[in-house]
Amino acid sequence: MSLDFQQVQEQVRQIGEGAQAHEQKRMELLEQAWQWLERWNEESGWLLRQIVEAVSHEPMVRCARPTDAAVRKPEPLRVAFPPGQLPERATVLAADGSQISPDRHAEVLYCLINVGAIQMQYGSPEPPRTTIISRLLYAEELFTPAGLISEALLSILRDQHERAILADLAEEAVHPVITFTDGPIELWGAKGSDEETASFRENLQKYLDALERLCRMDVIVGGYVDKPMSDLVVRMLEIASASGKELADLRRYRPLRGVADRDLFESLLKPGERSAVFALQSTSDRQYQGELALHFFYINVGSEVHPWVARVEIPAWVARDDRKLEHLHATLIDQCQMMGGRHFPYLLHRAHETAVVTLPEKEQVTQMIALELRRRGVSVGRPSEKLQAKRAS
Amino acid sequence: MKSIEIGRLLRAGTSGFVVGCNVSKVNYPSFGALVAAPQENGYRLYGLIYDIHIEDDGLVRQLVTVDTVNESVIADNRINRNVPLEMSVLAVGYRMNERIYHLLPPRPPLSLDSIHLCDDDELVAFTSAGRFGYFRHVLRAADLPVGELLAVHLQQTQSAQARSGNPAWLHAATQELITLLRDDYPTLMSVLGAIADCQY
Repeated sequence: MSLDFQQVQEQVRQIGEGAQAHEQKRMELLEQAWQWLERWNEESGWLLRQIVEAVSHEPMVRCARPTDAAVRKPEPLRVAFPPGQLPERATVLAADGSQISPDRHAEVLYCLINVGAIQMQYGSPEPPRTTIISRLLYAEELFTPAGLISEALLSILRDQHERAILADLAEEAVHPVITFTDGPIELWGAKGSDEETASFRENLQKYLDALERLCRMDVIVGGYVDKPMSDLVVRMLEIASASGKELADLRRYRPLRGVADRDLFESLLKPGERSAVFALQSTSDRQYQGELALHFFYINVGSEVHPWVARVEIPAWVARDDRKLEHLHATLIDQCQMMGGRHFPYLLHRAHETAVVTLPEKEQVTQMIALELRRRGVSVGRPSEKLQAKRAS
Repeated sequence: MKSIEIGRLLRAGTSGFVVGCNVSKVNYPSFGALVAAPQENGYRLYGLIYDIHIEDDGLVRQLVTVDTVNESVIADNRINRNVPLEMSVLAVGYRMNERIYHLLPPRPPLSLDSIHLCDDDELVAFTSAGRFGYFRHVLRAADLPVGELLAVHLQQTQSAQARSGNPAWLHAATQELITLLRDDYPTLMSVLGAIADCQY
């Protein structure tokens, strides 16, 4: 046992002492957020003007924004929509991915991207179908001009494969096709060297190409964010309340710090309901343009006793179409109900199960490569001393 | 011999083995059925299925709490998910050099060996060889539902034996059981009671 529980216990006690005061403060801030939500409930014009002003001072600002009327008429902030009808017939597709990162301590250097997808046919007795794509990267494929492939780059490669498998499967599927993935549609950029950023951009373009394919096929696309920590709507309220001076120094202006959007929507949305659709104000706007422009809504997939709010990212081509939105909304609620007390879409859980690479599987792949190399007379390195010591302990 | 592959070997010992298969194959094997594990050079092990066990996991435990489980979800779990069905098999004999022995096999099958359900011809051949020596293995297995296992086995075998022109097989088998259990009245009654429940 390497943990000193006595030290930890003392710190836990200190946390407990401050917790009540912290919670009291958070409730006061939440009350303030409620008041502002009420105040700017139907003031999309004001909200937009404030956000434009804020962005002119602070281009990195990230928040919710009333939808552009060309995409969708802005909805009141406090509005809640019950789920509509499930499509009578539809193909529902979910994908998830996992990866084995290059491990310099292992016998061989390689990485693997594993993407799993599952397809369920609504309105048909056909059983669900799973698809797995495993891609092994070795030798030159492991390197970018900046060096060994990074975790961030591997993640975007995985996301790009996830999106591509959905587009491939959607081509063969009965319409309407509803797809969702675990996590947001928006991808985070690489924070490395110029070469790393260039590789990221190249792969991001492939990701966007797959999204455009889905758009051309008129597929309903959603990115499901479970237990979101985002404060996008809260940040919009802060910006709405800011004076000119505060807008000029927005980084320091955080009157609602500690309040998350989930706190607001947990009490606003009844089970099954979704919030208004918001546009996403983000620096990633440049990448996601036109029909790919990112929007989102909150959805309560929980019950009366246990409300559970998730965030769902959608592209503009879904946001603009009431019917697509209704189908996505109803399907997500239906998928979560399939799981009983666990409020998470069944197909996303299954996609994860299909894609996940376990530690024993990783070991097996390593051994497969090592054996093949030895069979062909290629020398294979030894595991690092550190790894061997760990295995022995 | 036409036989249906029902699964592959998970683990084994001299007195029995455990077979795994996908839940979608659950319709093939049944309690009391005679199965065979073919090996090299005509060596073939025989066993009786005495337990069929379906494993659960976190998702299944979650899904049973839902009021109405969606048909697609049931199909997905049975067809796509890696939830194996385990069958425990009691070793009852083997075939070597074209001869059937009702003895414990000299060596157990190996991991991932294919396990087959015996067809009527093989069932008749195995149960007609010798003088019901394989009953010893069943009666010795104190932890098994001996009465039910024998009753089901006799019922299945009687049908095959009758079709092959040996309707007296059941009578001879029952007489042999009475002889073997003459000093164990409680077990004898349990076995005969189970046989009666099978309505011969």
